[in-house]
Amino acid sequence: MKLLRAEFQNFRMLRDLQLEFSIDPNTNLTVIRAANESGKTTILHGLQWALYGDAALPDKGEGFRLHPIDWDEREGNRVPIIATVEFELTTYRRTSGEVRETRRRYRLVRSAFEEVDGGTRRFDSTVKLFALNETGASPIDAPEALINDELPPELREVFFTDGDRALSFIEADVALSTKRERVQRAIRSLLGLGVVDGAIKHVRKSAAEVNKKAKQVGGSDQLNSIATRLEAMENNREKLETDLEDAKQQFSAFDEKVDEVDREIAAALQKGDKVKLRKDLENARAEISQLDSQLAAANKEHSALFRGRSIATGLLTPVLVGAFNTLEELHNQGKIPNTTIPVLYDRLEAKVCICGETLVPGNPDGDNRRAHIQKLIDDNQRADEIQEIITDLYYSTKSLQGGRGAETSAWQEEFKKVVERRDGIQTLRDEAGRKLRALEMQLDSLPDTDIQGLRETRRRYKDLRDRYLSKQSSIGTQLTGLSREREVLEVERDRLLREQKRGARILAELEVTQDVMKILKSAYQRITNEELRKVSELMNSVFLEMIGADPEQGSMIQRAEISHEFDIIVYGPNDRTLNPDRDLNGASRRALTLAFILALTKVSEVEAPNVIDTPLGMTSGFVKHSILRTAVRESTQLILFLTHDEIAGCEEIIDESAGLVFTLTNPVHYPKMLVNDPGVSERRVVRCECDHRSDCQLCLRYEDVQFEL
Amino acid sequence: MADRYFNPFQAIDINVPVEFHEAFTRYCQRSADAVIDQSPFPRMVDLWFLSVCIASRLGLEPADITDYDTRKIIDGSIFGSDPWRVHTLMLIAIAKSGDVQVVSEPRQMMTLANGLAVAGLPKVIEMLKEGDAEPIWNLSDAVDSLLRKGVVA
Repeated sequence: MKLLRAEFQNFRMLRDLQLEFSIDPNTNLTVIRAANESGKTTILHGLQWALYGDAALPDKGEGFRLHPIDWDEREGNRVPIIATVEFELTTYRRTSGEVRETRRRYRLVRSAFEEVDGGTRRFDSTVKLFALNETGASPIDAPEALINDELPPELREVFFTDGDRALSFIEADVALSTKRERVQRAIRSLLGLGVVDGAIKHVRKSAAEVNKKAKQVGGSDQLNSIATRLEAMENNREKLETDLEDAKQQFSAFDEKVDEVDREIAAALQKGDKVKLRKDLENARAEISQLDSQLAAANKEHSALFRGRSIATGLLTPVLVGAFNTLEELHNQGKIPNTTIPVLYDRLEAKVCICGETLVPGNPDGDNRRAHIQKLIDDNQRADEIQEIITDLYYSTKSLQGGRGAETSAWQEEFKKVVERRDGIQTLRDEAGRKLRALEMQLDSLPDTDIQGLRETRRRYKDLRDRYLSKQSSIGTQLTGLSREREVLEVERDRLLREQKRGARILAELEVTQDVMKILKSAYQRITNEELRKVSELMNSVFLEMIGADPEQGSMIQRAEISHEFDIIVYGPNDRTLNPDRDLNGASRRALTLAFILALTKVSEVEAPNVIDTPLGMTSGFVKHSILRTAVRESTQLILFLTHDEIAGCEEIIDESAGLVFTLTNPVHYPKMLVNDPGVSERRVVRCECDHRSDCQLCLRYEDVQFEL
Repeated sequence: MADRYFNPFQAIDINVPVEFHEAFTRYCQRSADAVIDQSPFPRMVDLWFLSVCIASRLGLEPADITDYDTRKIIDGSIFGSDPWRVHTLMLIAIAKSGDVQVVSEPRQMMTLANGLAVAGLPKVIEMLKEGDAEPIWNLSDAVDSLLRKGVVA
């Protein structure tokens, strides 16, 4: 899908605005220049509302006003809100050996009414889709289905990205499981695994149906009883899985709420004399987070002691003396290293024997000698294989012998270091925890009612979050128990079926469902792993290019990957993990998340736009240019909302890559930020055709004038 | 990724008696969220291999694995990335049999290793459990003390 144009009426501050987007493959970039508060985020919301409805709005649209805040009720109490998006779809059809490309254009119109008498009431929106052709527009049924196919709603945050929001894939403030859930959801949606999921559910249903038949076989009360229990278990499993999914979503939602309230508390503390307390709290939390990462790394080092070579060396060196002596003896006897066959081969190759006689093929003497040498090689082949292994063994295990006679083994040295490291970090962590608790108590004793209210809200959200976490564990445990119990019962049921005359056929049917289930599950796993690897590799190369890191040159950032658990991990020298939130600067964090988003879009092979709000914030110089160039290259259609500061220094890249550039202005910025009076009384975003290098009467800003001076 | 090193155990299974499966589940990390202090071994093969080493160190006789109902925990391809383990298993086989020819018999070497693992597992489980701390500390202290004593049968 490529976006062609969008039009908004009465959507918040977009009272009447049209936007066009470049679809030229050579200049696939559209730049919408807009200062802060000039409708960038509103457009992002507007586009998503048009495509996905209220579900795409903050808090799923609950309490989210759509009409302009300064709507004059004299214009009527029912405000019509309309968002129109025109897009192009390219389809490919194979016909008589050729691939035929077809492009079709569509218009999607979503409208809703809000009643504004006193409060705000919004009625369900209506959406219509039209196929555009030269003669007009033909309506299409079920528009949601087409949008869901072309721009899966689960990937909404990938296609429509707020530069800051994008950091949610790596931000430290939310729980690991929440970040993981976000990455996992994005990747699984991208793979279209819903189809495989559906098939698994279908096979499960079929298995349940076959199990019902087992009840009707008759002849065995026990069989009937087991089949009935299995039926009840299947119903129980379905319910538990739904509850688990719900608990996971609720946990993530409340985790985000806790994070949101934390930010509100930080903002409230910003006021008055509490700045120091806010700083102290921030520092204490950052310190704890850093120490927790260090502790986790130290625990891993401890665990690695049981997979490394040193523990085997320490334990085995004394007991392998006999084996080492045997090898040494063979070495002293000249049987190691193994040289016989290589020497014979060398001679054949050189066509001259060790004794100086000819080995030239075609020469009768040479042929005879060659046949003799070949026989020698064949005869020695087996003995030589053993010798080869032993030669390799002798040289490779030299270091295993190194520990002989040492007072303490290398493992003991490593263990001592791990103990010191773990104990040291734990002491610091305890100290940091005490410090944070003291600050929290200080915070609790503040007379500020706003802060106390927020603290109370935080506590409630945290309680709910923890409750859902506990619910997840409890359901997970029940599901494990259920699955174990079911396995036992299924074996028993199958045994009883075998004893029944009519059981064989049912058993065969059950085996088929079990086989299909196995295949589907392994396919699900394989696809996930393969695609995950592809996204991970592409993300890594895009990320390293964006930040200009060269691992060969020993850069601080060596690589980034998405683990099998769906964590985004960044590695530094010696494979030490870096915490994206603490060890990376703002520009690298942004580059990492954008690289992830671009890699996902590319691997999905979905032709889709990437609409990104303020992607270059916190970046400058090389990284800024590199992010922009890489994003242009990796995206099929790139629509960027950029502030004047973000554009500064990137003009030449925009000259080369942008098919369309225009400017949005918020007239209320006059007279403080805008030079000229736009002559607009209401709050609305207005557009002019000024590009990244020009200004007009409408959009000329004071910063621009000062900059030019 | 293709393995760089020769691994004669590539196609041979590592089997463990069913009665030890619970220990493998409990003491090996099965996900990134695993509590390392409770599950010290990064992979099942690490617990298995340590059991082989402990049995060798303590001079325990290899168990006859055919006496047990066993289940595969993984196949020998796992050694592809750790060639030193292949070499160690060969050295153990040479030490036990006194014959270098054994290196050309991967199945025989694996039978010996599986037997040693079964003999060593109860000892490793004991090391994990005995002590007042979490399993990782109990095991670390036990290994440390074993190395200090220099006990060789």
